[in-house]
Amino acid sequence: MEIDFLVTVLLSSLSSAAILLIAAMGLAVVFGLMGVINLAHSEFLMMGAYAALTITKAGVPYLLSIPIAVAITMAIGAVVEILIISRLYGRLFDTMLATWGLSMVLLQLAVLLFGTATPSINLPQFNISIGDYQLAGYPLILIGVAVIMLILIYLLMTKTTYGMQARASIQEPEMAQAIGIESSRVNTFTFALGCGLAGFAGAVLLPIIPATPSMGMAFAVKSFLAVVVAGPVALTGTALTAIGLGGGASITASLLTSVAGEVFFFIITAVLLWRYPMGISAKWRRKL
Amino acid sequence: MKTYILKRIALSLMIFFAGSSYAQVKIGAIYDITGDLNIFGLQQINGLNLAVEDINAKGGVLGEKIKVVTYDTQSALNKYTQFAKTAVLRDGLDAIFAGLTSSSREAMRPIFRRANMPYFYSTIYEGGACDKQTFITGPTASQQLKPLIQWAIKKYGPKIYIMAPDYNFGTISASWINEYAKQFGGEVVGEDFLALTVTDYSPTIQKIQRSKPDFVVALPVGPSQVGFIEQFAAAGLKENTPIVSSNYSTGNEQVLLSPSAGKGIIASHVYFMSLNTPENKAFLTRWFDKYGKTDAISPEAVTVWNAVHLWAKAVEKAGTTDHTAVIKALESGDLHFTGPNGLVTMEAGSHHTRQNVYIAEGNDHYGFNIIKTFPNAAPNYESQVCDLIANPKLAKHFTPSTK
Repeated sequence: MEIDFLVTVLLSSLSSAAILLIAAMGLAVVFGLMGVINLAHSEFLMMGAYAALTITKAGVPYLLSIPIAVAITMAIGAVVEILIISRLYGRLFDTMLATWGLSMVLLQLAVLLFGTATPSINLPQFNISIGDYQLAGYPLILIGVAVIMLILIYLLMTKTTYGMQARASIQEPEMAQAIGIESSRVNTFTFALGCGLAGFAGAVLLPIIPATPSMGMAFAVKSFLAVVVAGPVALTGTALTAIGLGGGASITASLLTSVAGEVFFFIITAVLLWRYPMGISAKWRRKL
Repeated sequence: MKTYILKRIALSLMIFFAGSSYAQVKIGAIYDITGDLNIFGLQQINGLNLAVEDINAKGGVLGEKIKVVTYDTQSALNKYTQFAKTAVLRDGLDAIFAGLTSSSREAMRPIFRRANMPYFYSTIYEGGACDKQTFITGPTASQQLKPLIQWAIKKYGPKIYIMAPDYNFGTISASWINEYAKQFGGEVVGEDFLALTVTDYSPTIQKIQRSKPDFVVALPVGPSQVGFIEQFAAAGLKENTPIVSSNYSTGNEQVLLSPSAGKGIIASHVYFMSLNTPENKAFLTRWFDKYGKTDAISPEAVTVWNAVHLWAKAVEKAGTTDHTAVIKALESGDLHFTGPNGLVTMEAGSHHTRQNVYIAEGNDHYGFNIIKTFPNAAPNYESQVCDLIANPKLAKHFTPSTK
C-alpha cells in the first residue's frame, strides 16, 4: 500500500476522532460529570451552528461568531437548567423525558424560525496535497482545536476553584452547601458550560456540515456512546474513546467500506460495554 | 326509555355525520407536517393546498369545491397506518395523497388496496411499487438515472464512482447505475455505501481519489450527507472530478451547501425552479403570493401539485368520484396534465408517470441552470415489470434483484 495513502488515512482518522471529541465534549461535562442525560444535546449543537451562521451573515467575521455562538447557547443552557434541570437532579428518567421533550420543541422552533432550508455561506476553505492525495485543510485544524479544547476544560475542572466547587456540588451537594458553596448556582454554570460546548461544536463544524434543524442527530448517537463507554473519568476517558472508536472506525472505513466502519464502531462499543459495564475508566485513579 | 332515546340520538348523529361526509368532494393528505421529516412534509402539504386552491378557484371538480382533510404523521411511521385507517374507515374520502419515505408508502399501501382507495405517492423513490390503487407522480430511480448516466459518460468519460446511502434507495439506484454503465459503455470503478449517521466523509473521499474515476455519482440523502459534497469540494477535488446526482435538490440541498461547493454540481430531476415555462412562472407566482419568498421550492411540491391535478382530471373524465371509475379513468392511458415541469402523462399499465427529466448545473447563487432536457422520459423499469391492465390483481414491490 502506498505511503501517501497511509498518511492521508492516518491524518483523516485523527480528524475524525477530533470531530467526535468536539461533538462529545459537552456531553462529557453534562453526563460524565453531572450525571444528567441531556437528550437535547444535539439541538444545542444545532443552535450553535445556526447562531454562528446568522451572526456571520450579519457581517461579523466567522472566527468572531464562534465565541458569540457559545455565549448564546450557554445563556439558553442556563435558562433550561434553572427552569427544568434543577428540579430534576437525581431523577434520571424524568430528566431524560424532559430533555427529550425540550429537544422536540427546539427542533420545531428552528424549523419555524429558519425554515426548512437555510441558505449557507462560503466559509474559509483550503486544502493540502500529500503525494497523489488531496485533503481538506479545515478538518485537520480541528485536531488542534480538539486538543486545546480538551486541555482548557481539563484545567478549568481540576485547577480552578470553580472546578472543585463544580465537582463538590454534584458529588456532595449538602456538604458543599455546608462549607459555603452555592451549589445550585454552580450547577447552573456547569450545565450551561456543557451546552456552550455543544454550541461550540455546532459553530466550528459549520464549514463541513451545513446547518439544518436536525443536523445534531447524526452526532448525538456516537457522542453518547463515546461518553458512556468512557465512564466516570469523563474527560480523559472520552478523549480515549473518541480516538479509539472514531479514529478506528475511520481507518476501517478507509481500508474496507463505510459500512464496515460503522460496524466497527458499534461492535467495539458493544464489546467494551460488555467487558466494562461502568465504562473503561471505572477503575482509573484519575479525577477527570 | 332512556336507552331508547340515547339510541335515537346516536342513530341521528350517525346519519348526520354519514350525510355530511359525502356532501362534498373530500381528499386526504397524510404528510409529516411536524417532526424531523417536515423539511419535506411542509413542501408536500403546501403543494397540495395550493393545487386544491387552484382547482377550487376554477370551479372545483364536478361543480363541487374540494375539501382537504389533513393528517399530521409527526415523522412517526406508526402514525401512517393509524391515520390511513382513520381516513379510510371514518372520513369517507375520495382520494388520498400521502407519504414520504418508502417505508411509509409500503405501510399504507395494503390499507388503501383493501379499501379500493385511489392513492397518490409523489416522492422521488427507488421504483417498483405496483398495485391497482397506487398512482405515482414522482420520478423513479431508473427514470432519472438513465438519462443522467448516458449524458455523464458522454460528457466526462466512462469511469464511475458511486457514493450512495446504505438503504434501499441507495442500493437499488447503484444497481441501476451499474446496468446503465454497461449499456452506455461505462465502467463502475468503485462503490461506497454510507449509513445515514455518517458525518465524516474523508474515508470515502480518499477511496474516490484512489480509484481515479471520471465522475462521481453522489446520492446524498438527508442533511448530514450534504456534508459529503461540502467536504469533497473543500478537499479541492470538484474541479477535476465532477459530481452528478439524481436526487440532489430533492431536499433543497443547493440552498444548504455553501455557494462555492454547490457550483458545478450536476443534478437530474423532474423539476427545477429555474424552468422557463409559462406554467412554471404562474406556479411560482402563486407559491410566492401564498407562502412568501422564504423557502426554495423542492420537486416534491410540484409532483404533489401534479398528482392533485391528475386526480381532478380523472374525476372530470369519469364524471363521478366513485373509486373504481376514477381508477379506470386514471389508467386510461391518455390522462395527462401540463404542470410547472412540463407534460406529465399517467401510464396505463405501470401507474407511474412519464415526464421530462432535466439535467441542470448548480450555480453560485443557490439555484440551477438547465443544460439539457430529456422530454417525456419513461419510468423504464416500472413500464417493463408492472402491467396492471393485463394483470389487475398485481400487488407487489418490484426490485431489480427479484426480476
